[in-house]
Amino acid sequence: MSKYDPIVMKDGKRYFYRFSAHQRIQHVVLFSSVLVLAVTGFPLRHVEEAWARPLYDFMGGPEIAPMIHRIAGSVLLVLFVYHTIYWIVGFIRNDLGKLKQENRLTVGSGIKAFFTQEMVPNMKDFRDIIHLWKYLLYFTNRPPRHERMSWREKFDYFAPYWGIPILGPAGAILWWRDEVSHVLPGWILNAAYIMHTDEALLAILFLFFVHWYNVHYAPEKFPAAKVWLTGYLTEDEMIHEHYAHYVQVMIEAGLEDEIKPQHFGGEHYEW
Amino acid sequence: MREYRLFNSILVITAFVLVGAVFSVAEADTEVNCLICHKHRGLSRIDEQGKFRLYYINNEMFESGPHRRNKCHDCHSDKDRFPHDPTVKVDCTQQCHIVEPSGQAKFSHKPIADTLSKSVHGKFDADGNPKKYQEDYPGCKDCHDQPLYRPVSVYKGETKDGVSKRSIGRCRSCHRTGYFAEDFYDHVTSRLRRGRFPMETINVCAKCHQNQEFLKRHELDDAVTTYKETFHGKLIALGSERTADCLDCHVVEGENTHLIESKLVPTSATNKANIGNTCRNSDCHVNASAELSSFQVHVTYERDKYPMQFYMLIFFKALMAIILYFFLALIFFELLRRLFPKFSFIKEKKTSDDTDFEPLSDDADK
Repeated sequence: MSKYDPIVMKDGKRYFYRFSAHQRIQHVVLFSSVLVLAVTGFPLRHVEEAWARPLYDFMGGPEIAPMIHRIAGSVLLVLFVYHTIYWIVGFIRNDLGKLKQENRLTVGSGIKAFFTQEMVPNMKDFRDIIHLWKYLLYFTNRPPRHERMSWREKFDYFAPYWGIPILGPAGAILWWRDEVSHVLPGWILNAAYIMHTDEALLAILFLFFVHWYNVHYAPEKFPAAKVWLTGYLTEDEMIHEHYAHYVQVMIEAGLEDEIKPQHFGGEHYEW
Repeated sequence: MREYRLFNSILVITAFVLVGAVFSVAEADTEVNCLICHKHRGLSRIDEQGKFRLYYINNEMFESGPHRRNKCHDCHSDKDRFPHDPTVKVDCTQQCHIVEPSGQAKFSHKPIADTLSKSVHGKFDADGNPKKYQEDYPGCKDCHDQPLYRPVSVYKGETKDGVSKRSIGRCRSCHRTGYFAEDFYDHVTSRLRRGRFPMETINVCAKCHQNQEFLKRHELDDAVTTYKETFHGKLIALGSERTADCLDCHVVEGENTHLIESKLVPTSATNKANIGNTCRNSDCHVNASAELSSFQVHVTYERDKYPMQFYMLIFFKALMAIILYFFLALIFFELLRRLFPKFSFIKEKKTSDDTDFEPLSDDADK
């Protein structure tokens, strides 16, 4: 299925496979276009702020910055479509293909295969949220054990999947306003304006506070997690964030005896 | 206030003392040489309403302005002695000594004032009755209060402010006498480009249409703040000159700028019958359909007037609050949890399916 080894040893440390190069490149395209969209869009949203004019001028001013914004937006939309196709192709080839080979492909088993995909939210995610709050409020000494994708990562993942279908069409309507006016009434621009600017603020605040906390600000991650570059997690990160998956991978690799106990946060952050 | 008055009188006295000293070098094209006093930068007083009044005339600025061929007395015709009495407000509609060349009549701004009085800004309604709060309606100087004319000089493809000596040479070969060539060069070229930057236009309108007391008196929405929320306003605020300012939508294309009419008047640029064409005018949304004009520019987000915008805003703000507060709380408690990793109100014991489980506290005890 994957050409990547689930566990790689380097300098006596174990690293656990997470993202393929293909996925990492998609992530780079995603964050580059989002950051470009942010620096060419937010000066307009907050014209009254002191930083708006210099930043906008730096990005080319009222003549060039909108062009850059539209190019980056188009790239993001293309990526969105590309990723969706990538996911569907992967699902059909790997999951449905396997079922077909085993002659078990029915509507029921197909739907079941979809809901057991690692990115599709399930009841365990819901239980994990409750469990985490119990843990955070000191009602249990046992943090939740996440599978390969924790509910937080699923939320991170579906944030663009919710955001882009709102931001993209709204942005396109504002871009092609003259042409759109032959099909839709002008007040649709008012709606598109609110959708585009408010959803953008939500997306950027979520990105800067929540996603960047998960991968930058959290004490064991600071200054930055490396998985987006290497595609591999350290054993510490694996234990902290994906303990259930960690145990499974270790057992599959025949390393039951070397499974380390669960802990919360990086080992060197124990007090 | 008293200190101001004192300071003020000192200034005026100083000014008069200086008059003697500079008498010989006084310039300006005035038969009574007003600049003898008015050239001094400190010439000012606090008037009866407590308002600071500056009487300084910057001759350089005046000489580059559109009225430079007028003598002071052309407009300030009440001045008949020196030193003069407190001044009477200038009436821009009086005739001045300049002759309008196409009709050879004495020049006056009266036709402009007539147009203004027919517009929504006129002081009298259609039946000739004075409108309520008459003092709020603008006169000439409420908008035209600064040197706004920007003569353009084009020579060898380069555009600069002011008069190009080389360009004007072509005019001078025939129009040899006096300032005629310069004046008409200014007169024509200043109309070839925008008289004002869009931001200046917006600021002129904002003097009243963003003044909360004024808006309350006349039961108007804040047209300027709402406009600044649109992409038109935002791009202009960031230095663009290519999007619509107030006048682009509120004046019928090709009409006199002073004829801004209420959208209820059938000939108004913003009337339902015309607004489609206003948006599609030759410089703007040429390819759009007339339907584009149902875009609402002056959105106040009031529930009764703009329900769609109101509920959309509530939806997005609520969504943002729920998601961000949830995650920020999570981050906060997660950081807090790290302070006491061993502590828990309820200690969970190992279970049979839990052989690999060892809580941090046990681990840290080793």
